[in-house]
Amino acid sequence: MAAVRCFHCHETVHTGERFTLNVDGQQHNFCCAGCQAVADTIFSNGLADYYRFRTAAATKNDALPLDLSAELSQFDNEAVLADISQQHDELTDIELSISGMSCAACAWLIEKQLRKLPQLHSVSINASTQRALLRFDSKQLSLSAILQRINEIGYQASPFVADQEEHKFKLELNRYLKRLAVSGILTMQVMMLAFALYFGEYTGIETAHEGYLRWISLLLTIPVVLYAAKPFVVSAWRSIKARQMNMDVPVTLALYYTFFASAYATAMQTGEVYFESVCMFTFLLQLGKFFEFRARAQAREATSNLLKIMPVTATLHTEQGPQPTSARRLQTGDIILVKAGETLPADGIVKDGQSSVDESMLTGEYRAISKTIGDTVLAGSVNHDGLLQVQVSRVLAHSRLGQIIQLQQLTLSQKPKLVEKTDQLAKYFVERLLVIALLTFLLWYFWWDPSRAFWVTLSVLVATCPCALSLATPTAITCALARLNRQGVLIKNAQVLEVLPNISHIVVDKTGTLTEGKFSLQQVHRVNPALAETDLLNLVANLEQYSEHPIARAFAPYLTQPLTLNDVQVAIGAGIRARWQGQQLKVGSAQFCGVPAELEWQVYFTLDNQLQAKLQLVDKLREEATALIQQLQQQGYKLGMLTGDHSVQAEQLTAALKLDFMHKGCSPEDKVTEIQQLIAAGAKVLMLGDGINDSPSFNAAHISVAVQSGTDLSKNQADVVFLKADLRLLQNLLQGGKQTARVIKQNLGWSVGYNLVIIPLAVAGFVSPYIAVIGMSFSSLLVVSNSLRLLKK
Amino acid sequence: MSIIYVLIPIAILFVAIGIGIFFWAVRSKQFEDLEKEGLSILFDEDKPKATPPNKPDEH
Repeated sequence: MAAVRCFHCHETVHTGERFTLNVDGQQHNFCCAGCQAVADTIFSNGLADYYRFRTAAATKNDALPLDLSAELSQFDNEAVLADISQQHDELTDIELSISGMSCAACAWLIEKQLRKLPQLHSVSINASTQRALLRFDSKQLSLSAILQRINEIGYQASPFVADQEEHKFKLELNRYLKRLAVSGILTMQVMMLAFALYFGEYTGIETAHEGYLRWISLLLTIPVVLYAAKPFVVSAWRSIKARQMNMDVPVTLALYYTFFASAYATAMQTGEVYFESVCMFTFLLQLGKFFEFRARAQAREATSNLLKIMPVTATLHTEQGPQPTSARRLQTGDIILVKAGETLPADGIVKDGQSSVDESMLTGEYRAISKTIGDTVLAGSVNHDGLLQVQVSRVLAHSRLGQIIQLQQLTLSQKPKLVEKTDQLAKYFVERLLVIALLTFLLWYFWWDPSRAFWVTLSVLVATCPCALSLATPTAITCALARLNRQGVLIKNAQVLEVLPNISHIVVDKTGTLTEGKFSLQQVHRVNPALAETDLLNLVANLEQYSEHPIARAFAPYLTQPLTLNDVQVAIGAGIRARWQGQQLKVGSAQFCGVPAELEWQVYFTLDNQLQAKLQLVDKLREEATALIQQLQQQGYKLGMLTGDHSVQAEQLTAALKLDFMHKGCSPEDKVTEIQQLIAAGAKVLMLGDGINDSPSFNAAHISVAVQSGTDLSKNQADVVFLKADLRLLQNLLQGGKQTARVIKQNLGWSVGYNLVIIPLAVAGFVSPYIAVIGMSFSSLLVVSNSLRLLKK
Repeated sequence: MSIIYVLIPIAILFVAIGIGIFFWAVRSKQFEDLEKEGLSILFDEDKPKATPPNKPDEH
């Protein structure tokens, strides 16, 4: 039988006909209760059109957690809502980022679903940025109700605040569009007139008509040089002021010299006009820059969508009972309650309760640390199992988390820069070109033919027009960005591709980057062979379902058959006990199970106080890591590890992977120092990491890469973000960098070579205007199509 | 051929109008989402509510 695919998410159905739905006499199968519930909502709301017109399958919908509404209701608190939205008279404006959108039909679906709420005044969903803009009356409709409604049809929405930078990007993108339209549409007009002039040259044209067409061309070119070409002028002027010639200097020079020469020719009715070259040159350059800019803007939007605003809420412990509030409004001395699974909103001291806390994002330590009365807890760490009552000692802005963020902003200004090669070449080229043009003019004016001096100089400038040269880098980079993007590598900083081929050292973080950053079952030692391993693990997994502890999650994949357990009791930080078929089950630490503890086994399982099995859990190395590191070392990279973890695992890993260097127990400050030392010794460093503790060192390195599983802060800071938790993407990135460098080199080689041939001819006065224009266009086309090769493969 | 003295200015006028419309389109955010609007024609605006599906029991 062919595999049945889930009607909603198109994944293979493993559960047979457990989840089905009858619509109009047709039976649809589903893979899980989540997908079934979503499809049911969609059908019963009359939105079945979604299934007809969608172009991509929906994302698999996990069944909703029961406490979702409780979690979402945190957003209804007035203080919290004020932090994340804007008030317009009576109405509230809010932006949401929506995950799970796979095609434009999703946008339609969500819009339809939300429009059913009468208190919602307007809703607009953007399918390409995966954001929603809502305006609603917060007195009549709660934000959690809206979020819940989006959740019902299988998407996850979370409040989102666009950063200032992104707003600027959007405005700039609009300006690009307008400039493109002006230069593109006017180029067509001027080109049309130029053709009339070309033909006139051959068949004869009345002087009056010729003059008229030239004046019209002049008129149409003015907006192009004044408006569309403005960014080049601004950038050229800035670079001259900074005494760092960039590519825009010859571009501006050629544009304006050509324009004014043609204007002079028009007014004086002599010589040649090149208005069409001016327009087309501007248009092509704008087009290249526009695509490059858009690729970067999209990468930026995609990464900021990954950012969730957390931790926004805190529960204040008052005499009237627990009260939700915004984390930013906490004050030193406040007593807060932190439930299991919540992120700590501030640094503090535990007043009551005990639990284990995950601090891996701050320290790189992957094992949970148990906390009890009097212990210090840090903002940003996750409370695993118990309820904690914490007295705030330092608020979010001054917490350890806040300090790390400050450190990272400090290092931002110290980011090492490599001078871009094309800019160096541009500087060299511009200087020589200006000298040659000047010499040509003098040569013709004083010795050969003073009347032709001006026009020959012009043809030197047009023929050598740096169009191809200035397209060489941006086109190649844009194509490479697009291709890497498809593979799941987001590049936010275009300079990265030029720097990549120079990288000599790769520094990786351990927890969460090289390893999975979570526990998984390594080994099972069965004491009683009568119990089969699958049955045993199923029993343990059934028990562990009741715990929030990270160890418990390691057993989730082994749950094959749900069993009925009675009297389940969870002892925080110790284990779980329950009754099953009259037997007493216990799973947990050695002490909890009443058996002697052994160092290499962390979890024990007993049946009626008889030891059944010992289990070993480790933070597993990512599958692809070993092969990847070997390959990279063969390619001549030096690999090192910087980790905040103190345990022996760091040394074991270093030995197993044959890393070139390793430092363990590093604080975020130590990591920065280590990388700065490497750079001082002349290394070009790429940093690969995931946690908040890596983010300061991201700015210290030449290139920083964050893995998808990482924290928001690290993704926001990194130059490159991997969209999949797959380290092999690093290989793609490095290869992409090398290919781009090769294509840029070819492009530069061609355009420089072409110039070397054409310059002597132009200086000698052999290059007629048509040949100059054809040569220029041909070399630009060649450069662009060479760059396009990067898109394939 | 003196007709070009009239026709070309008229053509320029059309070009100006075209650019003006494009600017307006950019300003009114029509280029922000090029995916959704292309598809919107496929969906009926207000469709009578479909009969709710029969949900069979879970086995």
